[in-house]
Amino acid sequence: MSTIDRREFLKLVGAGSVGTGAGFMLAEAIKHPLEHLIPYSIPPEEFSAGIDTWYNSVCGMCPAGCGISVRTREGRAKKIEGNPSHPVNQGRLCALGQAGLQVLYNPDRLTAPMLQKGERGSDTFLQTTWEEVLSSVAERLVVSRNRTDSIYFLSQGVRGHLAKLFELFMGGLDSDNLWHYDFDHPHSLYAANDRLFGEQQLPYYDIRNSRYLLSFGADYLNSWLSPVHHSLGFGHSRQGGDGPRGRFVQIEPKMSISGAAADEWIPARPGSEGILAMGIGHQLLAKGRYTAVDADDWSAALKDYSAASVAERTGVPAETVVRLADEFSRSQAGLAIGGSSAGNHTNGVDTLVAVNMLNYLVGNIGKAGGVVFNPDPVSGPTQSRQANYRALEDLVENARNKRIDVLIINNTNPVFTLPKSTGFTEALASIPLIVSLSSFMDETTVMADIILPSHTYLESWGDDIPQPGVGFSVAAVSQPVVSPLYNTRATGDIILDLAGRVGLRETMPWSSMEEYLRDGWREIHARSETDGENFDAFWRDVLRSGVWGENTRREGSVVINKRVIDNLGVAEPEFAGSEKEYPFMLHPFMTNAMHDGRGANLPWMQELPEPMTSIVYGSWVEMNPATAKAMGLHDGDMVTVSSAFGSIEAALVVFPAIMPDVVAMPIGQGHSALGRYARNRGTNPLQILAPMTDSASGSLATNATRVSLVATGRRSDTVRTGGMARQLGRDIVQSTGGDATAAEHSSALNSIPIVVEST
Amino acid sequence: MNFIDRFVAGWAKYRKPGYYEDFDYAWTMTIDLDRCSGCGACVTACQAENNIPIVGEEELRKGREMQWIRIERYWEGEYPNAKLKFIPMLCQHCDAAPCETVCPVSATYHNQDGLNTQIYNRCIGTRSCAVYCPYEVRYFNYYDHHWDAPLEQQLNPDVTVREKGVMEKCTFCVQRIRQAKDHAKDDGRRRLRDGDVQPACVQSCPTEALNFGDRKDSSSKVYRSMHDPRAYHVLEELNTLPSVVYLKKVETHAD
Repeated sequence: MSTIDRREFLKLVGAGSVGTGAGFMLAEAIKHPLEHLIPYSIPPEEFSAGIDTWYNSVCGMCPAGCGISVRTREGRAKKIEGNPSHPVNQGRLCALGQAGLQVLYNPDRLTAPMLQKGERGSDTFLQTTWEEVLSSVAERLVVSRNRTDSIYFLSQGVRGHLAKLFELFMGGLDSDNLWHYDFDHPHSLYAANDRLFGEQQLPYYDIRNSRYLLSFGADYLNSWLSPVHHSLGFGHSRQGGDGPRGRFVQIEPKMSISGAAADEWIPARPGSEGILAMGIGHQLLAKGRYTAVDADDWSAALKDYSAASVAERTGVPAETVVRLADEFSRSQAGLAIGGSSAGNHTNGVDTLVAVNMLNYLVGNIGKAGGVVFNPDPVSGPTQSRQANYRALEDLVENARNKRIDVLIINNTNPVFTLPKSTGFTEALASIPLIVSLSSFMDETTVMADIILPSHTYLESWGDDIPQPGVGFSVAAVSQPVVSPLYNTRATGDIILDLAGRVGLRETMPWSSMEEYLRDGWREIHARSETDGENFDAFWRDVLRSGVWGENTRREGSVVINKRVIDNLGVAEPEFAGSEKEYPFMLHPFMTNAMHDGRGANLPWMQELPEPMTSIVYGSWVEMNPATAKAMGLHDGDMVTVSSAFGSIEAALVVFPAIMPDVVAMPIGQGHSALGRYARNRGTNPLQILAPMTDSASGSLATNATRVSLVATGRRSDTVRTGGMARQLGRDIVQSTGGDATAAEHSSALNSIPIVVEST
Repeated sequence: MNFIDRFVAGWAKYRKPGYYEDFDYAWTMTIDLDRCSGCGACVTACQAENNIPIVGEEELRKGREMQWIRIERYWEGEYPNAKLKFIPMLCQHCDAAPCETVCPVSATYHNQDGLNTQIYNRCIGTRSCAVYCPYEVRYFNYYDHHWDAPLEQQLNPDVTVREKGVMEKCTFCVQRIRQAKDHAKDDGRRRLRDGDVQPACVQSCPTEALNFGDRKDSSSKVYRSMHDPRAYHVLEELNTLPSVVYLKKVETHAD
């Protein structure tokens, strides 16, 4: 073996004949200072070292559509905060929204276009160029457009101009199969509002000004619709106003975050929430609280829901039913909301119709503290493209029958969020070409043939109309806050590029999403009172504030017609599986941190203890203490949870506020892909759900599966950060009666003074 | 005078509450438990603002969590009358802080604004302060923590990344206080106005349960809030004189 001295080494390096290792090292050494010094003699616009630049944009972490302000420094995003001017979140932001930075800077992001080289699902992708992937996708689209409806586009829920762009694109390709798919889309709530009030939009629930909130299952402070906005309203109703303190009642089989925050938590049998609402309606009529001309029709419709019969069917005592009706009708203003678990049963729509009917009976429609209807969105399509479970079953059916040539998936993960029993994953095998637009290698993207890596929301242009709105027209623009990190492209730009390649240049002439967006916002400029401000100035103002709004509310009252009243009624919920074989009703629930599973690859969200159990990095199954005792199970035992459609393992958590015949599991963990933080962690309860649907909305009844629990004999290693779960007289969290006077509770701040002695 | 008396007198001389009365500010936080929903937005806000490391599942199993503000939960009663109460717990910035008296190198001390501060490069890692803290809000760096690239690009340039062997804890976002003071000076104001400074947790709170300000300013929101009849200190009997004031949760009963 020859030895090389320093002089010789340098000669060799100079001649380029040392192994690649040394050459690589040398290259790094040369590159190094350039990366760490600020290399701009003339810095880009809006860039000054040491000074923060804030950009207003729109949060893309959940469908609520909060406004965000992103702090950037030297071209890097440092912190996401709420945009104070945005009416939805008013400067506040939830944990998941703040963790958006870890989407942007996630180490497992897709960095370049890729082609599947091995078998589908084998995760053997090869990086390639944009030109190659786009031309091959365009080639296939041109062929397939000759076969009507053979191109499918399944996107995450998008609104505003991007949604419009998708419609133009799919229209141009002669396919009507454009679907949005969000796991948590409240199909049953939309259907209920449509049936009862003829409204296509979700209404605005004015929690802020309500003084009595009856929530049927809706986890409004954590995961339902627009949690940050609801939380603002909750805080204000509790301690912010001059009037009496708002009282909150939560009715659900397992205590949620909103249930813990409520003044009263009432367990009701899963799926019986609507029956309870009908019972309260019956009381309102019986006590003469509703006196309009059609009172007799209402009485007839509600006659089968006497307190005694409701008590038997819901498990809520008759006197409680009477009391709730009494409190609800006496409170100014009382508001009833329903959703989450209550809407996810086979009778979901009927349940939510019954709940929303209560607002009508006490005359709370269109009033402060009641239900306020939203105007039509200012831009984007008005027709909803949300795929319910039936539409997805059709997709599976069409795929099996070889009627789908190309499936384009945009940033949605049905392989993870659909039950195994749907057969979605298997059906993908019959689709010749699957294209995925995504920022991450999630379970669905793994199944793709071609991956078009898309920008995250912090690198893209877009706009958003929050849904549900806040009672008046609001639109917000989302803008890139940093330059793209990798060789990725914005979803809108990818679609526009493809449109050009398949010959849709005429209907879609824009060169970029930004141009299209500006073009589209000219319409909004035209309808705004701008005092003669030209479009460029208007656009700059919108970008600066991040939000646009019109401060006019919709007028007019609603009358529920007789046909709807006559057809009122809530059937008993159906469950898959026999009670004997599967004694427990499974209650899957969403958490703020994981949402539908998209939070699992964010380390901050993995390390954020779930507030009620303090569990991190895992999943679990909650059970009533008495049931656990009867079954000889202990907190921390590993159990097998089985339905007729599969079984999973999870750690048992003895949970004090859950009904004895219900077990609850959090949604979001149990990924087989999605990067290092998410993979092989916990279990996914959605996988074992039965394909039960609510016939009125066609949505999946996620809470209609029965399961059995068997101990495995092993103990779990689930991590909990919280210590002792009881106060043991330490009086750490103190409480006071609501009507207590100041004198009774002398301020606790009068500490024992420290006596200073002179020496 | 026996030695105990001498000790108390000597200690009290230096530990006189509010010895910084001659200075400008006394930063105070109030937390309204009747508003708090336990959602955890404050926890993530704090992690993002203060470069708090991701410690990983194994370290968490050993009880080595690093969240400067955490949500504690306490159950009361049994089904069906079970209740769950949340309380955000963070450094209380005690005026008579047990952690300060125990530090052998004075790495933790009280600054003129009434903040309990931690000087990282003075800390030698005896962990005595964590033992003395009755609120258990001091966190020790058992390792040099690591951010998988490019997560480190998010790190806040205004806040130090702490290294192995150093104790750390809530600073009331001292970097934001400093910055606000600088801005006030640039504007020619001597004093900060109420609302000029908001720590990350207060800024993010969706229910507006948290309030922050100067208790020497009787017109400030926090002053009003801390004089609410519901105000109390956690573990009041220890006489640590915290700068974090909690407002009692209101429990109403069905009528």
